[in-house]
Amino acid sequence: MLDENTDRNQESFEDYLSTQVLDPWKGPKKVPAEEYYTSGHRTCQGCESAQLMKLMAKAGGPRSIILGSTGCMYVANTTYYSTPWAVPWMHTQLGSAGSSAVGTAAGLRAMMRKGKMAKEPINVIAVCGDGGGADMGLSAISAALQHTQYNLLILMYDNESYANTDIQVSGSSPWGANSTFSPPGSARRIMNRRWKKNTAAMLAAGHPDCKYVATVNTAYPVDTMNMVRKALTIGGPTFIHSLDPCPKGWDYDPMYSHELGELAVETGIWPLYEVEEGKLKMCGKSRRIVSGQFKRKPVREYLTRQGRFAHFIDEDFDYFQAKIDDMWEKWLIPGVIPFAEA
Amino acid sequence: MSTGSVEVVYRGIFQKTLAKNICRGIVFAARKEGKIGTAFGRYGDSPERNGIPAKQFAVVSDTEEELEEHLAKYEPVNNDVTIAADDALCKGIESWAWYGLQPINKLLGDGGTLLVTSIQSPNKLIKTIHRKGTPYNLAIVKAQASFSGLWAYKDDHTDVRLLGALAKVAPHIVSLDAMLEAIRDQWNDDLKVAAAKRAYEATESTPVGVDQGNDEVPFSFDLPGWTKMEEGLVIRGMDAKPQDVPGRDGGYVPTRNEVFKKFSTRTMRPVINFDTCTKCTLCWLNCPDTCFDITPDGFYDANMEACCGCGVCEAVCPVKDCVTMVNEEAFEDNDSQWEMWTKDKEGYLAWLTKNITERPARSHGYHHVGQYAEEIADGTA
Repeated sequence: MLDENTDRNQESFEDYLSTQVLDPWKGPKKVPAEEYYTSGHRTCQGCESAQLMKLMAKAGGPRSIILGSTGCMYVANTTYYSTPWAVPWMHTQLGSAGSSAVGTAAGLRAMMRKGKMAKEPINVIAVCGDGGGADMGLSAISAALQHTQYNLLILMYDNESYANTDIQVSGSSPWGANSTFSPPGSARRIMNRRWKKNTAAMLAAGHPDCKYVATVNTAYPVDTMNMVRKALTIGGPTFIHSLDPCPKGWDYDPMYSHELGELAVETGIWPLYEVEEGKLKMCGKSRRIVSGQFKRKPVREYLTRQGRFAHFIDEDFDYFQAKIDDMWEKWLIPGVIPFAEA
Repeated sequence: MSTGSVEVVYRGIFQKTLAKNICRGIVFAARKEGKIGTAFGRYGDSPERNGIPAKQFAVVSDTEEELEEHLAKYEPVNNDVTIAADDALCKGIESWAWYGLQPINKLLGDGGTLLVTSIQSPNKLIKTIHRKGTPYNLAIVKAQASFSGLWAYKDDHTDVRLLGALAKVAPHIVSLDAMLEAIRDQWNDDLKVAAAKRAYEATESTPVGVDQGNDEVPFSFDLPGWTKMEEGLVIRGMDAKPQDVPGRDGGYVPTRNEVFKKFSTRTMRPVINFDTCTKCTLCWLNCPDTCFDITPDGFYDANMEACCGCGVCEAVCPVKDCVTMVNEEAFEDNDSQWEMWTKDKEGYLAWLTKNITERPARSHGYHHVGQYAEEIADGTA
């Protein structure tokens, strides 16, 4: 015990704060061939969350530990004694992506401090769905983002419902979407009357010490990987929120998985941005929407391709469009902060 | 005193509502004849995933005791009828849970009937079905696979047509009169009743002998007993090193999960024109199933043991007609297209051209509002 305390006094927190330096890949042809999340997962055809796992594992590289809270990316990837993961992965409970990430980072540091493993920067990435992250695990994620002495990334794959357990509504489900808990009927057409939770911006605004918060979309795979690499390189607790088109929960032909991701950005429904060391930067097409170089497509193009909005009538499309227009024209920070000065 | 059981094999999510309609229809019809029955899904298929084969069952008995005896099973075996509402399922089914590849006729009883919706001839279809140790019958309802959807349901009458055909091939389970009465009760639609009746009249059975069908042995694996499982629920990870493929120097073939291959999920497969491919990487980079092998000469070859046929590669490919999704019925094996191309480029081009020009109509779920109404109206459904 005495030796341990002595060690602790001699080495400061900073000795363990170095990260792997993961430079961005300049274009798809520079992306390496190595796969750390491979074939043979039990996901749907065209699952963009599986695509996100593949990109994240590729971006993090072999010296990574992945923690998965309950959700599709747990159930489909480790059930029945087989897995597509080629890097260490551990299951954690539904709401505990944040706490498991802190615990793992702290555990690694303790092992290194005690000389039980070689001192090296290891990526700790906790993965959660919108149910596990934006609903149940929000407080644990908030706590993790306050633990600035640890390096960890929390990656939220948001497919806008509890799709794994057969599509129940979540805090991330869009207004009006059909789900097991919000089926449209003759008495009431719109059952989910809540607007989608603004998770990434909430976490960025609420945790000033967090050095990196970003939104991504797998329709832009190189950008997505580079943002994961930036989050892991910058250090401290970081958070990335990904919108993943879900053929099961959104009810569409799986071949549209990529196109719907692009449309979510192009219609302005899904803004891409990063908050790096206190500075906001809009990214990709969202940046061009703000600067006026790209005209937002009508939301109808995105909504009509999905069976979950098949019950929409004109006034529903109009309402949805008006809410999106507000987001870019009336919000304090367009696409990010959802209020204006009184 | 008798019990009858029907197995419905279907595409997860896409055909879940369709399978439910069929199983409920059987039970309701049986009740019209004074029998009792129940319909249920196989526990191991939940949570269902798009395209991954799943099963629901309908069991009908004269007495409650007999019914309970049948319900004390995970999945009924020796079924009287197996229904598949997509003929691509005839190539074998790898369900969500722990099975390997099951032949479509595996749980069919001696002399039972495999009832399939298809536009293929019985002889062509039999060639794709694994051989069975006992004779059975194949009955076909002429129809395209109906990917009728979970919520936005395409009511193209596939449900009642299969119910009508069932009354023909298994009258001991339920008679046509009872079936028509149940359909009228449930939907109150003369068209649906007429569709069921027409299917009853049109359905013919073809006997299939023990020496007919695909003689390939479907892949299987040994389930580890509890003594072989490791402490703390440890699952061995994949090897991060690529596979060593004999005869291939260079390229990259990722190590893949050996016990869940996912190809039976596929109803269409990408066919790739390597002559027009620009090696842009987008198909490889955007494939959620990591199914593209990088070849020694830098092409991307969709591995048919891993491809589940989502069609994202076709959607992202920037070259016109370089990646084309073609219905699974055009293919008999999972061989590498790139190897075929390197051996005989002209022959490959002819094969490719034939496949992408003569491809049968494809259906793969919901595209836009009003689509199902249009399809039903113009009869393409």
